[in-house]
Amino acid sequence: MEILTEAIKMCFGSKEILKGIDFKLKDKEFVGIIGPNGSGKSTFLKCIYRVQKPTGGDIYFDGKKIDEMTYRESALKLAVVAQHNFYSFDFSVMDVVLMGRSPHKKILERDNLEDFSIARNALAKVGMETFEKRSFSTLSGGEQQRVILARALTQQTECLVLDEPTNHLDIKYQLQIMDIVKSLNLTVIAAIHDLNIAAMYCDRLIAINNGRIFGVGTPKDLLTSKFIYDMYEIESTIYHDTKTGRMNIMYLPQHWK
Amino acid sequence: MSNFFRESRLFLLCLVLLGFLISAFFWSLSIGTVKLPLEKIYLAVVEQLLTNTPIESMDKGPIHDIVWLLRLPRIVLSAIVGCGLATCGVIMQAIVKNPLADPYILGISSGASLGATSAILLGIGMNFGENFIGICAFIGAFAISLAVLFISNLGGRSNSMKLLLAGMALSAVCGAFSSFIVYFANNKEGMQTISYWMMGSFAGARWNNIFVIAPIVIFSVFFFWSQSRILNLMLLGDESALTLGTDLHIYRQIYLLISSLIVGFVVYSAGMIGFVGLIVPHVVRMLVGTDHKKLLPVAALTGAIFLVIADGLCRIIIPRTELPIGILISLIGAPCFVYLMIKRSYGFGGN
Repeated sequence: MEILTEAIKMCFGSKEILKGIDFKLKDKEFVGIIGPNGSGKSTFLKCIYRVQKPTGGDIYFDGKKIDEMTYRESALKLAVVAQHNFYSFDFSVMDVVLMGRSPHKKILERDNLEDFSIARNALAKVGMETFEKRSFSTLSGGEQQRVILARALTQQTECLVLDEPTNHLDIKYQLQIMDIVKSLNLTVIAAIHDLNIAAMYCDRLIAINNGRIFGVGTPKDLLTSKFIYDMYEIESTIYHDTKTGRMNIMYLPQHWK
Repeated sequence: MSNFFRESRLFLLCLVLLGFLISAFFWSLSIGTVKLPLEKIYLAVVEQLLTNTPIESMDKGPIHDIVWLLRLPRIVLSAIVGCGLATCGVIMQAIVKNPLADPYILGISSGASLGATSAILLGIGMNFGENFIGICAFIGAFAISLAVLFISNLGGRSNSMKLLLAGMALSAVCGAFSSFIVYFANNKEGMQTISYWMMGSFAGARWNNIFVIAPIVIFSVFFFWSQSRILNLMLLGDESALTLGTDLHIYRQIYLLISSLIVGFVVYSAGMIGFVGLIVPHVVRMLVGTDHKKLLPVAALTGAIFLVIADGLCRIIIPRTELPIGILISLIGAPCFVYLMIKRSYGFGGN
């Protein structure tokens, strides 16, 4: 699926969070959004997954304006894994995952065997198939996030939005979730804090700073010491591993100078 | 586990509960100042159902009159009220996304008591007929729901938090007006009437009221049951629901209006009966889980059974006197509630 945004602007009162973002996400591309806290990257993602309505500009899914789509139609195109999922009610894991089927269902239609098998497949993909009957609230953070990912897979969309999905997770689960997402071969747009993780998984990175696009490019092209300093005001050295061809960013904060 | 098996298990559970409800009916019909043997009750019930004559016709003997004119209307009413309150409890908890909500939470109780207070002490609505207190309470409850809905939509779309806060604010205002009226009316007898009314009672049950309320409550239960997918989404919150393709805004308002209508009718016919709408959904959730497809029908039936039994106990627990049902339910309900709170089997809206 292709996503196109044209001059997205967002104001809260007099404060301008997004100052016009033009961006194109190609089919089957894995794009990471990076940027400091408060840069507007989360707001930009929220505009894309329609939780917030931009005050200016247009967003298109496969050439269709999202304002002209119902929420159900957009939920059939794009699924979301957000960072915080706390429910004060005690759902079972299966209940949570099955909710991913709701955009596919008519108002009175019940979940049938097919829905259950889709949900079970999704749970198996994230390695949670034995947790089906567990209560969601008793799971650890990493497990909960994997269940939410399974719910997004159950939506069977072409595109997945990850809004800082690996916050609060330890490194094992961070990598595990990114691995799962990468293996699905979907169109993915993800807000990522950790530049090393972003560099490892993304085909392309978009840097947002102060509500504007600060740079776009492949991780190797974009992430230079100068660029990182300009954006985060942190010095760093970048190593390229000759064996794997991967890059690694070593930060050099005040303490190490 | 197959789909068929899952659905038939829910069906079976409902059937068992329905059986319980009918047994509770017969138990409750048999007790009281005059003890009636079960087979005579059975005959009286079946005969009336089969003969299709008006219930009030004179010459049918004392057992028929006790069963059909004194006890049954009251029992049927308590079942309907229990069913309605438990359902509304489930719905309100979903609307405000808080497991501590009850049917009266959005200011409905204070609206109803302001209505009742003005009826009793100021004589407002005397020309509404015999149950003018109930009618005024109904108007108060429903008006407050509309006001809460209106206020929560001011300055941007309403959400569960704004609904709760609007409910609290309006509750305070209604409470102030009620106290004002009570203070200046200086009417001891009237105050007593108010406090009796606040305890709730099924003694005023009449068939003609039941024929109005029962279809509304039963229809609403089925309506909400059909909405279980959206109710589930409500518990996830607005953002998650949007990403799953549903804008909850309009549904929340519709559900709120329907459930305040039910609560209004309940208040009209039985006064204020607390705790049922809070405890029953909780207990049922512990048994069948949070999925509304299972929760709603089971909660509705359990609520009905609970109130039929509670009302029966109220009639026999103190010889020759009737205990107001509100007292009994609070006595049962509060410890249950504390138990649930200590057990903390689920979030209660915080971590």
